[in-house]
Amino acid sequence: MTEPALWLDGNALAGLLEETFGAEMTAMLRRCQSCGERHPVGAHRLYRGAGDVLRCPNCGDLALRIAVLPDRHVVEVRGTWRLAVPRD
Amino acid sequence: MPRAPIRWRTVTVSEVVEETPQARTIVLDVPEWPGHEAGQHVDVRLTAEDGYQAQRSYSIASAPEDPELALTIERLEDGEVSPYLAGEVRAGDEFEIRGPVGGHFTWRVRDGGPLLLIAGGSGLVPLMAMLRHRAALGSDVEAHLLLSARSLEDVFYREELAGLQHVAMHYTLTRSRPEGWTGYDRRVDVEMLAEVGPPPSEDPLAFVCGPTAFVEQVADGLVALGHAAERIHTERFGPTGG
Repeated sequence: MTEPALWLDGNALAGLLEETFGAEMTAMLRRCQSCGERHPVGAHRLYRGAGDVLRCPNCGDLALRIAVLPDRHVVEVRGTWRLAVPRD
Repeated sequence: MPRAPIRWRTVTVSEVVEETPQARTIVLDVPEWPGHEAGQHVDVRLTAEDGYQAQRSYSIASAPEDPELALTIERLEDGEVSPYLAGEVRAGDEFEIRGPVGGHFTWRVRDGGPLLLIAGGSGLVPLMAMLRHRAALGSDVEAHLLLSARSLEDVFYREELAGLQHVAMHYTLTRSRPEGWTGYDRRVDVEMLAEVGPPPSEDPLAFVCGPTAFVEQVADGLVALGHAAERIHTERFGPTGG
C-alpha cells in the first residue's frame, strides 16, 4: 500500500444525514450521475475534513457535500437519490 | 409507528467493564431508548466545561434484545474522545448520545445467511451485536467469524465468544501468539478467506468491520474470490477513530 487509506463509509454519516433530511438515509440507493451505478448511500466513500464529502464507490465522482455551520447545514447533492421517508 | 426526530439525549453510565488493557465496555442507562438493530451505531457528544464539543460515532455492542445499551470503546492514545470513554469514565457519569443510526450495516435474523463476519481488532463490536442477536433469538442461521487481532490479550469478549453455539470461529493473531497456538498467524489474505468462508456459490452475507486498510484488503479479497459486491457490507473505522 502506497498511502494510508483515509476514507470511511457513508454509514458513518448516518446521524448527520438523519438530522439534515429527517429520515434514515444510508440504506437508500443513489444512482451516480457519472458512471450510472447504483449503490446504497451507506456504501459510498466518506471523506471528512472541514466538511464531509461523499463519493461514488465505483468512480469517485461527487455525491454529496455537507458543511455544518454554527446556524445551518449547507448541503449539495449530486446524482439521483431514491428517498423513502416513513409517514406518521 | 411515528418516527421521532433524531435528537441528543443525556445518558448515565451504569457500569464500566474492562475488556482488554486498551478497551472498555460502557453500559448506559438511556431514558426512552427507541430500540436498535444489530450493527447500528450511536453518535457520542462530549461537552467540556468551556463549552467545547467533540463528537464521535461508536458501534453498539449489545443485542437489540439486551436490557441495557452497551458500547465497547478502544482507547487511541492521540484521540480526543476515546481516552475519556475508554479510560476515565466512571459509573454515574453523564454524556450525550443520539441514535441509533445507520440502516446499511445491519443484520436481523430474518435477513438470513450464511453469515460471514470478518473483524479487524475493535471492528468486532458491531459484529458481536449481530452474534448476540442471533443467540438471543436462538437462530440457527449458519455463522462464521474471522477475527484478526494483534494478540490474544487484544481480543474482546473472549469467554463469551468461546461459549457461543454453532458459530465457526477463526482467529488470526498478527503480532504475538501464545505457545502452542494452532490458529492463523498472519494478516487476512485471499487464501484465508477461501478457507474460512462459505464459497460464493452459497451466497453468504458478509459484514466486514475494522480499520480502513483492513476492510479494503478483505473486501477486495472477497470480490476476487467471486463474492457479489452487493452482499458485502463494510464499516471502516479509518486510520484512527479518536
